[in-house]
Amino acid sequence: MWPVFAVPGVGWLIAFFVVSVYAVMAVAFGSVDPVLRTAVPAWNPAHWDFSAISEVLHRVFGGDLGKVFVRTFWFVAASLAGCIAVGYPVAYYVARKAGRRRGLVLALLVLPFWISYLMRMLAWTNLLQPDGIVNRLLHVLHLQGPPRNWLDGNPQTVIFGLVYGYVPFFILPLYSTLERIDGRLIEAGRDLGASAIQTFLRVTLPLSVPGLMAASVITILPMFGDYYTNTYLTSGSPKTDMVGNQIEHYLLGTTQPQTGASLVLILMAFLFVLMAYYMYTTVRQQRLADR
Amino acid sequence: MTTSRRDFLARSVQLGVLLGAGAPLLQACGSGGGSSGKQVTKSIADGLKPEAGPLRIFNYDSYVNPDVVKAFEDKYGVKTEVTTFTTDTEALTKLATKAVKADVHHSMSNNSIDRLIAGGIVQPLNKTYLTNLGNINSKFVDPWYDKGGKYSVPYTFFGTGIGYRADRLDAKQVEADGWDTLWKATKFKGQVSVLDDNREALIMAMLRKGLTDVNTVDQKVIDQALADLTELISLVNVKVNINAYKDLPEGTSSIAHTWSSDLINAANGNLPTGVGPEVLGFWHPPAGKYMVTNDSMGVVAGCEHPVLAHLYLNFLLDNDNAEKNFTFVGYLPALKKFTSDYVVSQQLVPPNLANCIPTQDEIDQGLYMKPLGAAGDAIWEAAWSKFTAGG
Repeated sequence: MWPVFAVPGVGWLIAFFVVSVYAVMAVAFGSVDPVLRTAVPAWNPAHWDFSAISEVLHRVFGGDLGKVFVRTFWFVAASLAGCIAVGYPVAYYVARKAGRRRGLVLALLVLPFWISYLMRMLAWTNLLQPDGIVNRLLHVLHLQGPPRNWLDGNPQTVIFGLVYGYVPFFILPLYSTLERIDGRLIEAGRDLGASAIQTFLRVTLPLSVPGLMAASVITILPMFGDYYTNTYLTSGSPKTDMVGNQIEHYLLGTTQPQTGASLVLILMAFLFVLMAYYMYTTVRQQRLADR
Repeated sequence: MTTSRRDFLARSVQLGVLLGAGAPLLQACGSGGGSSGKQVTKSIADGLKPEAGPLRIFNYDSYVNPDVVKAFEDKYGVKTEVTTFTTDTEALTKLATKAVKADVHHSMSNNSIDRLIAGGIVQPLNKTYLTNLGNINSKFVDPWYDKGGKYSVPYTFFGTGIGYRADRLDAKQVEADGWDTLWKATKFKGQVSVLDDNREALIMAMLRKGLTDVNTVDQKVIDQALADLTELISLVNVKVNINAYKDLPEGTSSIAHTWSSDLINAANGNLPTGVGPEVLGFWHPPAGKYMVTNDSMGVVAGCEHPVLAHLYLNFLLDNDNAEKNFTFVGYLPALKKFTSDYVVSQQLVPPNLANCIPTQDEIDQGLYMKPLGAAGDAIWEAAWSKFTAGG
């Protein structure tokens, strides 16, 4: 009887994940209509053609696309570090210190979700103009001399955009874990002579690792496929091109959709490796907790 | 968690059944998708009454004046529905897979019209419904991409050149440097852009070196163009977009490889308050070395409202409607009436941007992007991918 309750979830997973991934594989291993040059998916694995993905793998490992993957990896890593630096203190404050203001602060954290991601990025292109408010503020605070062109295609702007766009997704799951930490454990640490910092490092931080991992996964997975942050904040600079931009280029702008679909599969394979590590860590921690 | 022998056997049977049922299902699926049909050779009959609508228009975003569409609705007592696309490839794919129901394909590019015709996506036009055909510019009456104009009528046309801030650059120097203006723009690092198009920017690099075969599939020529274009990344921190129509008037860009109509758009609707159009300038190569492009309209094959679709095309070929449309989209109608002298005299284009309107000589001698075939497209697309990846 109880497994029946899993049917909607499993159905959702099959319809919106398994079928979608299979459709991408069918396009990647399919062909192109000789006249229209649109994708002709090969739904039957017996008809699959791996030449497109072989070509893409050759370009990724040793070709021009390799640097795009490396660049994307570093952007995401730096953005994750930014999300941790900004998001962890916020989540900690809301979970452990906000008290009666917790509800208000949570509402304020969720507020950015009311505005579409694209609108928020467009707003930042305005603020980051050479004569925009950011440069004016930095000048008033004597943190900067002549105005800087933040939108001239530099990686820092892309990283800033990714942190800004995804930090709310980072804070909420982390807050959920920090909020559930038993306060008595923290008290015990202090009672046993640990300083505030030592208690944080030896009690709170280790206990928050599952939340940190979950928040990181929720954040970095969409970041790897992001293409609009770079497009809007750097107006398409080749110096900040990410894997998502190449996927968009091939799927929407060329007659080689199999190449775009192949890039999607390669990116997914890479993300599966990260997910496997996350799942291994989670299972291991669960086993330790069960003992 | 341990698994009992009974559970293992039960699950194995289930998996076996699934695989067994799945194989014939996959067999039946075959190779569906956006496959081409046959070229449609028969148009609709003469003298049919217009349908009740709604007329379904498939177009780029903001590429037709809503007031003109409304005027069409009022004239024929029908409603319209506009569905948008962002790229030519997306439009073709959606029509081929019937993901979109459309009556009018509003913006067919020269690169894809041959495929749209051969693949049975658009149908031949019945010219008895198109009483305004006489308004069309002579170059587009019997165009190279659609002999006899059987499947399309032209919509807009424009050239490709350099848009720039005339208050930051010397117009005479731009005139003297030509395409080199971009390579010499180190003073404007981060404020230089090239068009986000698989071919336009590489063609620009070829034209800079004096090569005019813009439809070459010579790998060496394309590799050299890629190498030249890649220099711009380190020299001027080049950006890749189609935003000149707003970046130039806003001042965030100083030099843009762009379409002539973007400057008209920039001057007519995107300048900050108190800033006149004299801050903008446009340069293009002389006739014979000037890339000219046009978009065309067609009636989708098998559509529900073909008569209305024909009437809509005819409506936009009317000079008054085309002029009204031009004031919104900024892209010049491909009609005889809209010469440089006319649009300037009617104050549709500022005098300093009169050269944004290609002359008849420039149109007749223009360089046109033509279809390259699968292998040719693959070479250009790979080169463009390398450039956008960072060179």
